Parts: sequence; C-alpha cells; structure tokens
Amino acid sequence: MNAHLAEAAKAASIPRDGTPRISVRGIRKSFGSIQALRGVDLDLWAGECLGIVGDNAAGKSTFTKILAGTYIPDEGSIELDGKGVRYSGPAEARNNGVEMVYQDLSLCDTIDVAGNLYLGRELRRGPFLDKAAMQDGARAMLKRLEVRIPNVAAKVAQLSGGQRQSIAIARSASFGPRVLILDEPTSALAVAEVEAVLALIMRLKAEGVAVILITHRLQDLFRVCDRIAVMYEGTKVAERAMDKTNLEEIVRLIVGEGHHT
Amino acid sequence: MTLYTERQQGSRLQDFLEANAHVLSIALFLVACCAFFTVLNDVFLSPGNLLNLLRQAAPTLIVAVAMTFVITTGGIDLSVGSIIALVNAVAAILLRDGWDWPIVSVLMIVLGALIGTFQGYFIAYQRIPAFIVTLAGLSAIRGVALVLTGGFSILIPPSLFLTLGRGTLLGIPLPALLGLVVAVVGYVVLTSTVYGRRVCAVGANTEAARRVGMPAKRILLSVYVWSGGAAALAALVIAARLGSGSSNAAVGMELDVIAAVVLGGTSLAGGRGTMLGTVLGALTISVIGNGLILAHIDAFYTQIVTGSIILIAIWLNMRIFDRGGGKR
Ligand SMILES: Nc1ncnc2c1ncn2[C@@H]1O[C@H](COP(=O)(O)OP(=O)(O)OP(=O)(O)O)[C@@H](O)[C@H]1O
Ligand SMILES: [Mg+2]
Repeated sequence: MNAHLAEAAKAASIPRDGTPRISVRGIRKSFGSIQALRGVDLDLWAGECLGIVGDNAAGKSTFTKILAGTYIPDEGSIELDGKGVRYSGPAEARNNGVEMVYQDLSLCDTIDVAGNLYLGRELRRGPFLDKAAMQDGARAMLKRLEVRIPNVAAKVAQLSGGQRQSIAIARSASFGPRVLILDEPTSALAVAEVEAVLALIMRLKAEGVAVILITHRLQDLFRVCDRIAVMYEGTKVAERAMDKTNLEEIVRLIVGEGHHT
Repeated sequence: MTLYTERQQGSRLQDFLEANAHVLSIALFLVACCAFFTVLNDVFLSPGNLLNLLRQAAPTLIVAVAMTFVITTGGIDLSVGSIIALVNAVAAILLRDGWDWPIVSVLMIVLGALIGTFQGYFIAYQRIPAFIVTLAGLSAIRGVALVLTGGFSILIPPSLFLTLGRGTLLGIPLPALLGLVVAVVGYVVLTSTVYGRRVCAVGANTEAARRVGMPAKRILLSVYVWSGGAAALAALVIAARLGSGSSNAAVGMELDVIAAVVLGGTSLAGGRGTMLGTVLGALTISVIGNGLILAHIDAFYTQIVTGSIILIAIWLNMRIFDRGGGKR
C-alpha cells in the first residue's frame, strides 16, 4: 500500500531522484550561419516519455539527431546513465542503446522489409545472411506492433507511406533500446496504427525505456507523455509536467506568445 | 452489410516476373542476337566460334562483375580500361625481364587493387564524384603505361603464363572458366553475404546505412579495390592470350563493361544490382562484337552498330521495367 503510493508519487513528481537515463547540457549546433541550436539542456529518466514540440525549424530534429549521434554538437555534453559520452557517429549511439526513428525514415528502398528491419544488425551464419531467420524475425516484430505487411520479402519501395513509417518504428523499437527517439512517427499513420504506436510507447515506458516523442499531434502528447518540452528558434523555452498544463497553454508556448511581451 | 475482406495476394509467378523483368528481357535479347547472327552466318553457332567468343568475353565479364558492385553503390569506374593497359604493360615488362610468372601475377593484382584504393579514397573520404576521380584515372593511368612502354608493344617470353589466356580445361577455354568462377563468387557475395547487403544499402541510401551503423565510407572505398583488382586480373588474361603487353590494350573497354552491367539491369542510380544480368549483358556485348565481324561488317561501322544496339537495348529494357514500377 505504501509502496504503491510511493510509486505513484515518484511517477508524478518531477524532477525525479536518481540519475537520469540521459542528461544533456548546453548543446549548441550551427549549420553555416544558421544557429540551429543555441544551448539546450534536458534530462530524461528511464520509464518516462518526454514530448518535444515547437514550430517548424525550431530545432527539434537537429536536437534529437545529436542525441542519436547523427550530428556532432559544436558544444555541450551528453551523459547516459551518469556516464559522459562523446559519439563519433550513429553507430556508437546505437551500440549504447539509443535508437531513433528519423523524420525521413532512413529506409533503403531497394532492400526488402525484413532486410530493412535488420539493417545494420543482419542475422548471419558466418559471412552469409541468414535470410530465413530474418524473415521469421521480421514477421514476429511486425506482429508484435500489429503492423499488417503481408509479404516481408517485398521491397520497401512498393509499400505505402504509413507502412514505411511502421517499419522504421518497428526497427527502432525491436532491439531493446534504452532511449527511443521518435521524430514525428505518426505523421502518415491511420487511426488504428497511431493507436498501436501510442500503445507501444506505453509498453516501452513500462519496460523502463526512456522515450522522446516529437509530434505536431498535441492530443497524442496528453495520452502518453509525462512531460513536455517546448522549443523555439533553437532554444528550450518551457518545460511542463503533463498533468499541470493544458492544450491552450502549450499552443501559446509553441507560437511564442508571452515571450514577446 | 459491407464485408471487410483482405486484398488478394498477387500470384507469386507475377511477382517473380516483375522482380526479374530486367534479367528476363536481357536473356531474351541475347537469344534474339544469337538467332539473328546465326541467320546471317551459320559459322556463328559452330563450337569453335562459341568457344572463341567465350574466351574473348572473359575479360569483359571479369571486370563487369566488379563493376556491378561499383554501380550498385551508385558509383562508376571509368578507369578500368586504363588499369588494364597499365597492368598489361607492367606485367609484360617484368616477365620479359625474367620475373617468375606467379610472383608477377600476384604483384599485378595488388597493383590494380592499390590503384583502386587510391581512387576509392578520394571518392569515399574526400567526396569527389566517382565520375571525376575515375575520369582523371582513365587519362593518367594510361599515360603512365605509355611512359613505361614508350608506346611499343612488349613481347612476353613463352612460359606457363600464356596458358592462362590460351589453355583449355575439358575443352573449355581457361579464361572462360576463370570468368565463370569470378561471376559465381560475385553472385554469392552480392546476394547472400552481409557485405553484399551493405553494398546495396549504401547504394540505396548512404545516410540510412550510416545511421544504422554501417561503415559507409569503407564500403564505398572497397568496391573500387575490387574493380581495380578485377581489371588487373583481366589484364593478365589479355596479356596471356595475346602474348604481349601494350599501353594500347583495352581502349574503350570501360564502355563495354559499363554497357554490360547496365544492359543486365543494374541501376545506375544505385541500390539494385544483378549479377546474373551482368553475365548475360557481358555475353550480349561479346556476341554483338563477334557476330558483326562474322557478318563481314566493316570494322568502322562496328562501333556505330554496337553503340546503337546498346542504346536501343537499354531503352527497351527501361520501358519494360517502367511498366512494372514507374518510379524514378
Ligand atoms: N543539415 C542541415 N544543414 C543546414 N541547415 C540545417 C540542417 N539541418 C537543419 N538545419 C536548419 O536548422 C534549423 C532547425 O531545423 P530542424 O530540422 O531541427 O527543425 P524541426 O524543429 O525539426 O522542424 P520541423 O518541425 O519542420 O521538422 C532549420 O533552420 C534548418 O534549416
Ligand atoms: Mg523535424
């Protein structure tokens, strides 16, 4: 009974105790003359889902790509479970359990569904691909996420936009990530598929995965996120616990009203 | 009441035909070419001519197998003809000077691979377009061969080396067997190994390959090592067949090789390569060359006819493919 309460209190109280799963400080990144990020701090705990919202070009994708090792920040530090990390590329981040669904999906059109799901983690027998095992595994992955793709040997180019998005999500969620970053994962999905993704996020949270969700569908944030961070022109302008805010406030924070006064 | 039914799965046969449209069409085209040249001159189908054809097709085939990897990454290697000339010339010089042929053979393949590494470095790590790097190579490497030989042909003293180009095993020319072995290895590597998968991934979406942790640059570099090495092997075969080395060997060979690969259905855009298609493409190119000679067409016209046939064949091939996909 007491344990239950403590558990609930822990879930609601922010910031939490213990070391964050991922903790970043002072991240800056410029592309030529464009300051994409102008110093972003963020903490994220295991089992938590953080929503990131903001205008187009606010820097959401750039920020998360830095967490995933795709971009190297100009300045700033990243700690994973209290240990400082400095990625030289996405391979290292992936080895550390940081997975990302990119806005552009990052699929190989000419490779089949199973091959894309196992891209970079091919099952092998010696130097050879174990195609049968990958196809079985692919079917299992897709089934777990309730994705309906009849033929896992089909080339990804032949699939619909939503199916492609589902594959990118399945790829990132199926190999036991510690941090899962979803950059607009539901933009092309139909009703049932969105529900499946939200259910997936809840399931991963329960398993202790730290999830970052970028989306423009604000109603989804209220269903799965514990916290929300608002970005504006390359900075984090606000952070709110989900149960202490509402839709109007978030909309106001995104468009920047109140910051200009 | 409306029923929710699942869409019927298309027939497997239709899927298969669609997926292999390229290979099937080039196979048909090859058969058509053979039939056509047989009608023009029935010597074409004689065993002697066919074996000779295979012997001559071998160098093109060997290089085309490696070129399939290069083009699958979305690259191109225009320097293979010049690498052949250089290796051909250097091998002849060393053999003339009394070096042992096994040592020379190994050294030459290393030389080809090193040239490939050099070019691959600029392509993969310095991000200079493959077209530019290998175009520069095409010019410079043959230049080195010209300097070394002074433009003269160098005779190779008789030794076991020459059987590499002239010998037969069970009645089949050794070069053809060598080409077959290279093609089979290339087929297995491209379709069934992790490395082959990486080559496809880098060609389809380099950034995606990088993001899932593949060493994209190293893979990109590696394919030029293969094309350099394969060109060197082809050069040895040519040197052994002709019994001499010359800086004028294999002029324009890069075009035959690239045509063979593209005829076979490997996409110049990258990401999709077919080794079976490449083998058929290389045979087709050789059949056209051989058939035109047998038909007594003036050598000056041969080039015009070859070029036109290649254009038409690739055009037809793309039409057939477009009906299926319609993308790109
Ligand atoms: N590779 C790049 N090269 C140059 N500029 C870039 C690059 N990536 C991002 N930028 C710039 O950085 C800024 C932030 O872009 P980012 O993609 O992070 O925005 P976002 O918040 O994800 O927007 P959206 O909601 O449209 O996805 C933009 O001004 C963009 O032009
Ligand atoms: Mg974005």
